[in-house]
Amino acid sequence: MSTPEMERGAEPEVDLELSGVRRAFGATQALRGVSLAVRRGEVYGLVGPDGAGKTTAIRMLAGLMRPDEGSVRVLGADPAHPRTPVREQLGLVPQRNSLYGDLSVDENLRFFSRLFGLSASDFTTRRERLLSITRLERFTDRRADALSGGMYKKLALACALLHRPRVLLLDEPTNGVDPVSRRELWELLYGLVHEGMTLLVSTPYMDEASRCHRVGLLYAGELIAEGAPRELARAHGLAASNFEAVFLELIRGRAA
Amino acid sequence: MAASALRRTLGRTLAMAAKEVQHIRRDLRTLYLALAMPVLMLVLFGFGISFDVDHLELAVVDQDRSTASRELVRHFTAAQEFTVVQEGTSPEEALAALRRGQAVAVLVVPQGFSRDVARGGAQLQLLVDGADGNTASQALAKAQALVEVASRRLGPAGLSPRAPPLEVRVRTLFNPTGRSALFLVPGLASYLLAMVAVLITALTVAREWERGSMEQLFATPVGRVEIVVGKLLPYLAIGLLQVLLVLTVGAWVFGVPVRGNLGTLGLGALLFLIGMLGQGLLISVVTRNQVVATQVATMTSLLPSLLLSGFIFPIENLPLPLRLLSTLIPARYFVDTLRGVLLRGNGFAELWPQLVALTLFAALMLAVAMGRFRRRLD
Repeated sequence: MSTPEMERGAEPEVDLELSGVRRAFGATQALRGVSLAVRRGEVYGLVGPDGAGKTTAIRMLAGLMRPDEGSVRVLGADPAHPRTPVREQLGLVPQRNSLYGDLSVDENLRFFSRLFGLSASDFTTRRERLLSITRLERFTDRRADALSGGMYKKLALACALLHRPRVLLLDEPTNGVDPVSRRELWELLYGLVHEGMTLLVSTPYMDEASRCHRVGLLYAGELIAEGAPRELARAHGLAASNFEAVFLELIRGRAA
Repeated sequence: MAASALRRTLGRTLAMAAKEVQHIRRDLRTLYLALAMPVLMLVLFGFGISFDVDHLELAVVDQDRSTASRELVRHFTAAQEFTVVQEGTSPEEALAALRRGQAVAVLVVPQGFSRDVARGGAQLQLLVDGADGNTASQALAKAQALVEVASRRLGPAGLSPRAPPLEVRVRTLFNPTGRSALFLVPGLASYLLAMVAVLITALTVAREWERGSMEQLFATPVGRVEIVVGKLLPYLAIGLLQVLLVLTVGAWVFGVPVRGNLGTLGLGALLFLIGMLGQGLLISVVTRNQVVATQVATMTSLLPSLLLSGFIFPIENLPLPLRLLSTLIPARYFVDTLRGVLLRGNGFAELWPQLVALTLFAALMLAVAMGRFRRRLD
């Protein structure tokens, strides 16, 4: 069984890294010593139920929060440092609707391109390409609030890709998206990985875990298992397609 | 290298500003709130709030019915200060008018008035409705002054009128006719500016937190200062437009003059607005919620600017604790600046302490707000 990163040769570079990260919000322990490493060109799935700590982990990696303990590295640097150059290389698609609903598709794209300091010619070519791969060309004048759930997520993705980041963090990108758009979105993501991008995707849907090169199972702030989906499934004597059963098995194992 | 960094900073700041302008254009209520409301309120308040008392309704009970008594009543009405709403001989009727609120004062000229005047030592009775203290005291003061004048005219020719031992001639400078509008418009202008500037800023920044777009912003290279300056620039422009509009309406509708240095006024307005925007920013950074931000903004800008700025209540008349508190209210210094430039013809030489106070407030607000404005979600 060969996974993509193995084909690339030994010692692949680690683009995203959490080591021993703890974080509490008041009495709630959101992360209880999580360590994970995402290699270059990998699709890493952070899988777990609501409240497992997925969003907190992603916010740490995006430099939006600091850990109480442990360290966070993105492309070898601290993403929470005020003057970090990491932000030029990082794309984030937050879980919440974070675009400007009263602005049109085009206005949102233009705004983010200006924040990343894109030249007019770069913006023109990238806008065209992103609109075409997200199939939003016909909706450029539509207000973001008036888009469907799937189109909104694709616009958020397009906004996060304008500056061609090396790493992309997606927090539940398929939440509230219909099955057809979900498949499209995943095809889009695979295309990005082909171009050499590193992806970390969080999802509560077990069926999506099998789409990732590697997954980390996050449960109550702890990473309870990590590995390629098929290997995790095989270790529990289950089919990879039935990842939900693998997850339930693992949780049951902890409760016992 | 440094130049390209500066260019990028400028680019991001302008991107924030351009986006804000798009928000404003998309939802013109902000603009109405900022521009139409102050003008509307200025006109309403300007005409509505008035401490001038003219045409006081007077009921006259003339029991003498003589030339002298008619002459006396004519004195009361000649200066337009009193309007006779009822004339008769029955004190009961006049009192009823007072009770019904149709008259604020009753003048009783007793029988034998003309005889007593000729002899010297005539008496009049003035009944005043004390329910409205301000009107009552003005009616009393005006009646006394009128009687004083009338008594000289009507008094016995042979006798020289009693010369008062000391005569005070009051001359009011800067606002000689004592018109409330001249006094109120500058105060009103700063009150409205304070309220709208703090409110709009608090709302616009809190909205980014509430909607979640702040999270997206923080994941891009845009810096805190770039976010703040970019977001506030359009509102600073709107605020300055407001100042211009309010002064124009003040001059056009109420005849408020501009006697002093406009540069000083402009500088004062700019500093005041920056302070107000800073206060709005601080509120939104702390509350991160539009509803709470609205309430805090209203409480901290509306009330102090209304009560502690000298807009309505003279600061000298406030109790000591409030007087001390008023030194922290920027509207107070802006009211001073506006009245100074508009009415007293002041310039930088007289108003620099006010400008220093406005600068200090603006710097403090921005420093505290930026200190609290972390580029993080936790």
